[in-house]
Amino acid sequence: MLGPKLAEFIEGQVMMLFATRDASGRPMIGRGSGARFDPESGSLQFLASRCQWPRAVEEAQVGRPIATTFVRAADYKACQIKGRILDARPADAACRARGEAYVNQQLTQMLALGVTRMQLSSTLSDQELICLTIEPQEIFEQTPGPGAGRRLMPEGLA
Amino acid sequence: MIPLEQLRDSFEGVIPSIIATTDADGMPNISYLSHVHYVDETRVALSNQFFSKTAANVARNGLATVMVVDGYSGQQHVLDLVFERSETQGETFERVAVHLAILESRMSGIMKLRAVDIYRVEDCRAVPAAHPLVAPEPLGLPDLMGKVAKLSARMSGCAEPETLLDVTLEGLAEIFRYCHSMILVPDGERGGLTTIASRGYEQFGFGAEVPAGNGIIGVAAERRRSVRITDFSRGQRYIQAVRAMAGVEDATPIPLPALEKPLSQIALPLVAQSRLVGVLFLESTERFTFRHRDEEALTVIAAHLATALSFLSGERDRAETGQRDKADQPAEDQPTGRQVAVRFYQRDGSLFVDDEYLIRGVPGRLLLHFLEDYARSGKQDFLNREIRRDRRLQLPDFKDNLETRLILLRRRLEEKAGPIKLERADRGRLRLTLTGRPVIEVIED
Repeated sequence: MLGPKLAEFIEGQVMMLFATRDASGRPMIGRGSGARFDPESGSLQFLASRCQWPRAVEEAQVGRPIATTFVRAADYKACQIKGRILDARPADAACRARGEAYVNQQLTQMLALGVTRMQLSSTLSDQELICLTIEPQEIFEQTPGPGAGRRLMPEGLA
Repeated sequence: MIPLEQLRDSFEGVIPSIIATTDADGMPNISYLSHVHYVDETRVALSNQFFSKTAANVARNGLATVMVVDGYSGQQHVLDLVFERSETQGETFERVAVHLAILESRMSGIMKLRAVDIYRVEDCRAVPAAHPLVAPEPLGLPDLMGKVAKLSARMSGCAEPETLLDVTLEGLAEIFRYCHSMILVPDGERGGLTTIASRGYEQFGFGAEVPAGNGIIGVAAERRRSVRITDFSRGQRYIQAVRAMAGVEDATPIPLPALEKPLSQIALPLVAQSRLVGVLFLESTERFTFRHRDEEALTVIAAHLATALSFLSGERDRAETGQRDKADQPAEDQPTGRQVAVRFYQRDGSLFVDDEYLIRGVPGRLLLHFLEDYARSGKQDFLNREIRRDRRLQLPDFKDNLETRLILLRRRLEEKAGPIKLERADRGRLRLTLTGRPVIEVIED
């Protein structure tokens, strides 16, 4: 479902969020610590820190719906991908390395944009990473402006 | 649950907040919010006219979860919300509308507030800092009452409106360390404001104007509400709009004595007896100089300043009553020698001295009046009371307006250091001195 441009975007220098919900419909929010698109299976691998976002990760159960957003801090270009959780398990060594690299790159970039070290201390984590495998079902434009909320075709993110 | 009072810096809108909701199929939705507004210890308000999916989801099950970020420390908190009601008027609505008005002036967008949604906060949790680069600062809520008391005592000791203005700004710098400040008063004619006192700038900028409703000073005056911006670093272009405010149509503008690159600002309306008597404005080159507690302290100072300014101006009038009319003293010898070219425009009361713009409006008309009397009879001393009685001046209705106009005119002349001076001879009496012979030209409409 995700074309190469969108895959490149979500794997690039973007801040990411995810939302799950409990059985009563109460939503849970967390930040992501890296994502990767697998073109063969068409699924998304999304990393999140269990110790930082215990409730959101706890509700990230197989079969449950999930929403993820990706925002490029430099120009606020953003999209939201909604789908279903296919798998949830502690990150393996390769995933952990990817998560650590993502956190380091984001910290470098955000510091360059003028965000202070103190502000970033609370933002990102590469500790206790969980890898969520997600089947993307819908993609939405989320860049601020009149187009926000518009449903995107797979290659719609220019 | 963490008390919301401890999160006040997270409700400043510096870093966008995040809201998550759930639709009928159980699918979550994520959206960004410019602001989550603090209402009270258990409630927050959202202005959600932009995100239709969020609104539809909340209308269905009333549930929302938001994450707010402290714009100073970066600390994150997650709040579980339950929708309570929508409001289209009242205290919270007005406060949110003011924030939107500022955003609108920064972005040139159309963002009229239709309603604010009030939510009950069921839980508030801190997000652990799992990757600490720097130890977060402990949440501090400074007690500023002692400082407020100290400055209030100094203000209460002032017997003159002009002293009061200076003592207030000096005290704000010395006691609170708010080093860049100014006081503006309504111009009484165009709905704008004029700078009458300032501190901490290279120029005093007496007479600098701010049009009605423009920028945080204009919005604070128009809505009679405090406006506070804690971190300008994400919107520096705004200051250019503030600078553009200082323009005067047909005359060389007096620049507003604004900082080149402010990072935080606050404007507080001065209201006495339900009437706007001015605006107290402060700014800083640091982020988060004016936090919520600072606003509370400054609100008390602004209220004291407004009441005292109004009262002292009235007192001046009473003190003059019964005073012998000393204004018609024999004229001193008028200086001869060079001419002082005075040009006055009836249309807006703007007055030029030797081809340089001086001031306009009521202060312009006041000075013309003094100069005409001086040219005709050599009269140099003028009493407040007789000025007020003179219908030619088209003075505003309120007493303090005359007093502040005279202060403004005197200060502007002093700052200009030209051939005309206006000095306080004694209580309620002004003395005009010239180092040349005035030649007055009045340009009709």
